[in-house]
Amino acid sequence: MKLFLDGRVKKLNHAGTVSALLKKLKVRREEVVVKLNGRLAPETASVLSNDKVEVIKVVFGG
Amino acid sequence: MGIAKCSKCDSDSIIFLHYVRKHFCPRHFRELFEKRFRSTVREFSMITKGDRIAVGLSGGKDSTVLLRCLHELSDDLPMELVAVTIDEGIDNYRDATLRIAKRETRALGIEHKIISFKKEFGKTLDSIMKNGGSLPCSYCGVMRRGLLNRAARELGANKLAIGHNLDDVAQTTLMNILRNEPDRIARFMEPQIKHPSFIQRIRPLLRTPEKEVAIYAMVRGINIDHQECPYAQSAFRQIVRRQLNEMEESHPGTKFKVLGSFLSMDKAMKVKSEKTLKTCSSCGEPSAGKICRFCEMKISFF
Repeated sequence: MKLFLDGRVKKLNHAGTVSALLKKLKVRREEVVVKLNGRLAPETASVLSNDKVEVIKVVFGG
Repeated sequence: MGIAKCSKCDSDSIIFLHYVRKHFCPRHFRELFEKRFRSTVREFSMITKGDRIAVGLSGGKDSTVLLRCLHELSDDLPMELVAVTIDEGIDNYRDATLRIAKRETRALGIEHKIISFKKEFGKTLDSIMKNGGSLPCSYCGVMRRGLLNRAARELGANKLAIGHNLDDVAQTTLMNILRNEPDRIARFMEPQIKHPSFIQRIRPLLRTPEKEVAIYAMVRGINIDHQECPYAQSAFRQIVRRQLNEMEESHPGTKFKVLGSFLSMDKAMKVKSEKTLKTCSSCGEPSAGKICRFCEMKISFF
């Protein structure tokens, strides 16, 4: 899968849910929105090897 | 990819709300969001027909969504809206949100006033910090609140709407407890504060988690800026935010419970704490002491 996070793109091997991916990345689910192949997706969604996953930080100060 | 279905229809889910254990598609999420927004306004009697409401519009997601929701609510509950933006002078951060604020007010046909630290005080927040200033969030918060109150009054508003969401309120409640500042809890909801210059603040997003504000903006196609304030990392609030979000993950509904505790404490304390504010001897604005925090900070930094 292709991961977009903090303005960087990288290829990752991940088989499982978005929730498991966030845990692996040490990202708090309360602070991000995830787009799977360009569409908003719940953390229960499964990620496949050719998917594009975008993790967008939306909770912060300021 | 495998996507669950909405708990209310056959469409794909875009969000799973752990605290109710339900999936929502864009349509039903929007419905839930707007229903909650309207019921919060009703529950706290935030708006009365004919109110003139100044909206504190930073151009970030919370205030932009707040403005849009109030504008739509005004179809059913007639009110006048004006928007006020404070430009603190933070390089590579405020410009983007200022553009959004200008674009939104223009699109909705809402009067928009922009007030800058630079014009008001001759210095930006950046220049104060470069010259040895500390605690940027406390300083910025006090100055912003003071300027918003004054601008709302000058624009003839009788209420000031702020984009504080559930996360903000839960964090503030915990911070006040951790700092042993119960007076601040009593003051937060404010209708008991009496002063002719004080404009009552309302928080219609009080029951809305911050993440849901962002998702709502995306569902509605509202362009939001995803940058973080460069000074935010230094705040005590960041620590509380992180802890609360971790607790929310392990114990869904924690933020709603903190809000519930806050509302219970607020009710109990209000009975004892009806408060008439003094008038600042320097600027004439409402103040807890002889000189307000705004003037204290102005004297220290400008």
